[in-house]
Amino acid sequence: CSNDFLNTEPVTDLTDESFYQIPEHAYTALVGCYDGMQIVTGASGRTFYTASEVMSDDCFGGLGHSDPYDYQAVDEFDVRVAPAYQNLYNDTWIKYYQAIYRCNVLLQKIDQIDWTGQENTRNRYVGEARFIRAYLYFEMVRLWENIPLLTEPSTDNIPQADPDEVYTVIAQDLLYASENIPGETYSSTPGGRATRWAAKSLLARVYLYYTGYYGQSDLVGLVSRSGALAHLEDVIALSGHGLVSEFANLWPAASGNDYAGESNEEIVFSIKYTYTSDYNGNTDGNHWLVLFGMREFMYYPYGNGWGITVNPKLYDLYNANDSRQMASVIGIEEEEIPFDNLEGQREYTGYYNKKYTPMSDYDEDGNLVSVTQIVATGDFQIEQFQDYTVLRYADVLLMAAELGSANAQSYFDQVRQRAYGNNFTQLSVSQENIMAERHLEFALEGIRYWDLLRQGIDTAAGEIAESATVLNGGIEETKTISASNVQTTKGLSQIPSTQITLSGGVLQQNTGW
Amino acid sequence: QSSISVSGTVTDAQNGVPVPGASVVVKGQEGKGTSTDFDGKFTLEIDANAILVFSYIGYKTQEVNVNNQKTINIILETDIESLGEVIVIGYGVQRKELTTGSNLQINGDALEKQSTTNALQAMQGQAAGVQITSTSGQPGESLNVVIRGLGSTYSNAPLYIVDGVQTSDISYLNNSDIENISVLKDAASAAIYGSQAANGVILVTTKKGKKGKAQITFDQYFGIQTLAKKVDLLDAVEYMTIMNESRINSGQSRIYSEEQIASAGSGTDWMDQMFQDAITKNYTLGVTGGSENSSYSSSLSYLNQEGIVGGKDNSYYERYNFRFNSEHKLYNGRVTFGENLSYAWINNNGIGVGNQYNNALRSAFQVNPLFPMYDENGEFFNSTGYSETWLQGVSNPYAQMVYSNQNEYDTQKLVGNVYFEFELLKDLRFRTSLGIDYYATQGHTFTPVYELSVYSFSNQRKVTQNMGKGKSLIWDNLLTYKFNLNEDHHFETMVGTSSYKYDGHSMYGENVELIFDDLSHAWLSNASNTDGALITLTGGPDVIVKRMSYFGRLNYNYKGKYLLNATFRADGTSQFSENNRWGYFPSVSAGWVVTKENFMDSSSNWLNYFKLRASYGQVGNQNVEPFQYLARVRSQFTNYTFGETEGVLTSGVYPYNISNPDLKWEVAEEIDLGFDANLFDYKLNINFDWYRKEQKDWLIEAPILATAGAEAPIINGGSVINTGVELALTFNNRVNENFSYNVGFNGAYNKNKVGSIPTEDGIIHGLTGQLWDNSPEFYRAENGNPLGYFWGYETTGVFQTDDEVNNYVSGSGDLIQPDAEPGDLIYVDQDGNGVIDENDKTKIGDPNPDFTYGFSIGANYKAFDFSLQANGIAGNQLVQSYRNQTGSNQNWTTEILDRWHGTGSSNTIPKVTTDNKNFNEFSDIYIKDGDFLRISTVTLGFDIAKAAKINNFFADQMRLYFSVLNLYTFTHYNGMDPEVGFGVSDDTYNFSSGVDLGYYPRPRTYMIGMNIKF
Repeated sequence: CSNDFLNTEPVTDLTDESFYQIPEHAYTALVGCYDGMQIVTGASGRTFYTASEVMSDDCFGGLGHSDPYDYQAVDEFDVRVAPAYQNLYNDTWIKYYQAIYRCNVLLQKIDQIDWTGQENTRNRYVGEARFIRAYLYFEMVRLWENIPLLTEPSTDNIPQADPDEVYTVIAQDLLYASENIPGETYSSTPGGRATRWAAKSLLARVYLYYTGYYGQSDLVGLVSRSGALAHLEDVIALSGHGLVSEFANLWPAASGNDYAGESNEEIVFSIKYTYTSDYNGNTDGNHWLVLFGMREFMYYPYGNGWGITVNPKLYDLYNANDSRQMASVIGIEEEEIPFDNLEGQREYTGYYNKKYTPMSDYDEDGNLVSVTQIVATGDFQIEQFQDYTVLRYADVLLMAAELGSANAQSYFDQVRQRAYGNNFTQLSVSQENIMAERHLEFALEGIRYWDLLRQGIDTAAGEIAESATVLNGGIEETKTISASNVQTTKGLSQIPSTQITLSGGVLQQNTGW
Repeated sequence: QSSISVSGTVTDAQNGVPVPGASVVVKGQEGKGTSTDFDGKFTLEIDANAILVFSYIGYKTQEVNVNNQKTINIILETDIESLGEVIVIGYGVQRKELTTGSNLQINGDALEKQSTTNALQAMQGQAAGVQITSTSGQPGESLNVVIRGLGSTYSNAPLYIVDGVQTSDISYLNNSDIENISVLKDAASAAIYGSQAANGVILVTTKKGKKGKAQITFDQYFGIQTLAKKVDLLDAVEYMTIMNESRINSGQSRIYSEEQIASAGSGTDWMDQMFQDAITKNYTLGVTGGSENSSYSSSLSYLNQEGIVGGKDNSYYERYNFRFNSEHKLYNGRVTFGENLSYAWINNNGIGVGNQYNNALRSAFQVNPLFPMYDENGEFFNSTGYSETWLQGVSNPYAQMVYSNQNEYDTQKLVGNVYFEFELLKDLRFRTSLGIDYYATQGHTFTPVYELSVYSFSNQRKVTQNMGKGKSLIWDNLLTYKFNLNEDHHFETMVGTSSYKYDGHSMYGENVELIFDDLSHAWLSNASNTDGALITLTGGPDVIVKRMSYFGRLNYNYKGKYLLNATFRADGTSQFSENNRWGYFPSVSAGWVVTKENFMDSSSNWLNYFKLRASYGQVGNQNVEPFQYLARVRSQFTNYTFGETEGVLTSGVYPYNISNPDLKWEVAEEIDLGFDANLFDYKLNINFDWYRKEQKDWLIEAPILATAGAEAPIINGGSVINTGVELALTFNNRVNENFSYNVGFNGAYNKNKVGSIPTEDGIIHGLTGQLWDNSPEFYRAENGNPLGYFWGYETTGVFQTDDEVNNYVSGSGDLIQPDAEPGDLIYVDQDGNGVIDENDKTKIGDPNPDFTYGFSIGANYKAFDFSLQANGIAGNQLVQSYRNQTGSNQNWTTEILDRWHGTGSSNTIPKVTTDNKNFNEFSDIYIKDGDFLRISTVTLGFDIAKAAKINNFFADQMRLYFSVLNLYTFTHYNGMDPEVGFGVSDDTYNFSSGVDLGYYPRPRTYMIGMNIKF
């Protein structure tokens, strides 16, 4: 009897024995998968987006003049710059596997639910969960290449998989999603949910990266060049997606009142963020956004941030007639911004990210405040809410052109026409021109670095290598990024040493780290 | 024969205090007699040639021939042969001379004399081996109690039992309600409390009524609290000079011109702005008494202590206490019925005293002296819109404290029990008691609209409101039997059961758009916002905790000479899975009263009593979040935003943790050897103990690979061994009728060593980002080292010249610090590989003291009394970090004036630079010695009733006293208070200590008070 007396059960948590019983459970668990993806991609610190930009030739690590040099270690592919940082990515690594665990548990348990008569719903949920898993693995395998691969939950000490195995799972997941998520036009699905079109488009991006970086002719025997192109042509023909008329309207800071919104026709897939983050445990925001703001300085419509800086070369790359210059980069002098915090800024260049930057606005009393103060309770560090656009329709067009679509010139022209407006002059479509155009079109969207790598390590190293004059605390210094560091590391990132230690050496560090 | 009136006083030989309740009877006429009153006085009409017999429990009986004397004063000698002093042990009492474990008892009077708001604070320095540390000097803040060294990574708090009822802490009690406090230090003494006693047990007994004349007491004090020691921050001129220097050192131009510096004055002294004198006061009214069959004791008290940071508007602690204890004998004493009930109502309000982001004082350390308190309109200065480096982004710390600190909380607590005791047969007793620990708490906060800087603002009136309540019920049943075999073999046996259940509920809400603009109207009903994204509403039941226990004890002694004690307890708990639910905790201890042996007769003239003790026991600790044995699916904080509209959330769930069905108790195992001795007519009392305590199978987070994907399970692993010695000496001497004194000293040495942490690196890592933004790990638990030791770079001074930099080379001739310049710190290359990196970090400090000690002096001369109490620790280090090293414009303490600024200028503090490169690694420049000796209380009292020497004076006692609390602290530590009870913690680990991030110091209090007894 005393054993009965001692029995208690949790009343605010469910247990895995009582859950995954009815279709509604599967849906809430699927939302949990989206939430896992939101947490890992939206975190502050070194996330996929932040790393992609800092490692690329477009941004410098920047940040505060007296900050540690961890972002410089990322920027320069050299941990000796900040030797204490043997765990540049531990938090990110953990959050990826937490998100994947959510997907794997759902996929493992979903068939204990009775789906009779709702098989399509089941397949859609499975498709979305597999899309999310593929999306996460694709980010991970690009960052680190050598990662443990789990398609079901396990607490085992799992060695790093051959990247081909990872790409096989990614390709299979995306193929499943592209067949089982209904083929309705994008607008009949609420923004943020993975669509068939998102799966097809992402598959093409995976194809291009894999075949480029590894010098292969197809995607692990599962997707051929023509197959990848066919998926993109489907998207172009059937999805209902199109280009927003003005390039600037894609970006809140560049468009003002003309902002096209976060569910516009061009967004094939985005990760949603909103301002409901708090310090109690809600993490719903875009926490890396603030890293890209001007260093502790606010000027309408730009908010204050921590100051990852933009390489002036990017600004100078644009033709004066290209509307994307002003839409992509904040020019301190060009926009006559009275920035006066040189003292606090490291690697000041005079340029900041405009596509992803915290914003400010005037409150009722006419004071300039963080826009989070206008729409939410005001904590600019955790309430940033700009979505991350993973894949735009412009990318679909340029990928299709690159993959040799019969309409390649037309697709190429559509993208360039929007950028140049009345000043458009046709340029003939070619691999070289497409890659150059991709840089201009997708700068600061977390794409450029991978476009460099898929052209080969040496090409990437040549582009990324840098010797530039920057201002550290207002003092001129030379910023150097050596090509050999890119080559040694093959552009891959550091595996967290905590994980290597925990694995007892089963996990191996990437070369150069 | 003539009859005369005889009167007199009976006093104790040891300390000269009156003995109330002593029996005074006429020899041969047992019916004729009386007993002494509370002042030990008696009056009797008897035959002038009678013989009077004076007796009292624990004293040698004396006979006196009256012989026509009208006044007979008697001094009773303690009789160790008879029933000596009784001390409280688990589920009972025991004669002190027969105890075999290591435990000590502190009298309530000794606590009351300290005039502290909290009994634990009064115990500081009074108990060898019990380290008591304030977690903050703020009124009402809790105290850390560590018995015999840190033993666990999660909770080191002892188990508190008040009148048999388990409770989480005892700060709600008024000192004057406490009869005594027993501390069960060794595992053998504590083992009767089994799975919860690994950190020791503190038993509190509240005051009971006594047979005799009713007595009313009134105690009162009033005190002024002031800041005892101020930290000197740079004034405006010093600040500007240092800021200029750091810019020049960094290759930049100076920021302040000579003219600006010359006209700066001293600037704002933020310490002066933050601190102010505050009041503390207390009133206690008590009544006690009893007849043959009933006794009672009751009290009502009020206490109010204001905080010295920000004054009463920002922090205060106010408490009302009510207590009623009574006991009644029914059916000729065959049935006893009684109850102990204590009730407390506490109102409080407090400022942030936590980590670097929630610490009002820390903000004041950081803000520079050029920043003004007020603007030209007399409003708090708002730095928004200013671009001067000393203003931009800086917030007024005082205003910040005021704005973010508008709150009121209250807590009610009822602790007590109702019991019956039945005498079934002679010496066979059954006792059943039902205890309750009930609390209810509620509070609300108000955030006004304000703006102090671009980082510190509130654009909405916000209200939060919380409520919670809960209760623990404890039902204990005890059967005790006492018997002797052959006169010489004495047995006391006890078996019992205890069942425990806790349940509780809480709710929390927050909303904005409050229609009023002050705290008194800040309630959820007054908030008009209906946008769900800005509303938080949570609530639910607490996890129900249940326990069932069976236990037994056997005490045996042979002629009071050879002593044996064995206990056993079986505990079942809802905390663990069904398979690991039951734990078994045995103990055995033995004693040998050497002075009872014949061969000791020769030394009996100076050695009155000597007992050797030895004990072994096992106890447990089950402090862990519940349901670790289940895989849970969590919905809290899980959601996603589909669609265009911001702030609209769709709820989700996710699998939360990896379960561990094998989880069980932490176990502590302890051996204790010791002796107790009384010398020189019991004037000198010595207690000595040596112990070795191993706490193992810690409840720690498993070192789990990220690929597992969920929260790591809690597992059993890791251990710590505390080894130490304790010594307590007291000397009581009554020189003559008018003068007596006592001196006490106690000290403890403890060594703490961690072992067997089951991770690859044998380390439980500390948190990062605690000392300043993004600061590195600085404390850890690691095999072979003390728990929570400080881990960082060792330095050997400051490079004075370029030559020194160039000569600092490795074995292979490479520069060890190639980027260093004169004025930079010299880091020790521990591994000798020529590179300074993580591998060169080492143990650079230990927050655990080697020694803890205390002493007291007391004296009575006629109507005067004097007492002094002191406590101290030695051999520990503190980490001091007041500055956020990611910023370059924050203020420094004046310690920085000793920095390097040219060859030979300093070899201890490096040069200042704008990137703080010498300060943004954790090195031994952050480590300070924490040794101190604090004169905690000095009291001088004068008893008018005693001085008046008038019969029938309206009061038995009317004592006035003057006390100073925290009179002086001897220390080399340069912070405001070396008693830093703050440590870094999270939900899983709480083993860090000695971290000064801007520590709220204990005030110095000057008080006057009065004790009246009628």
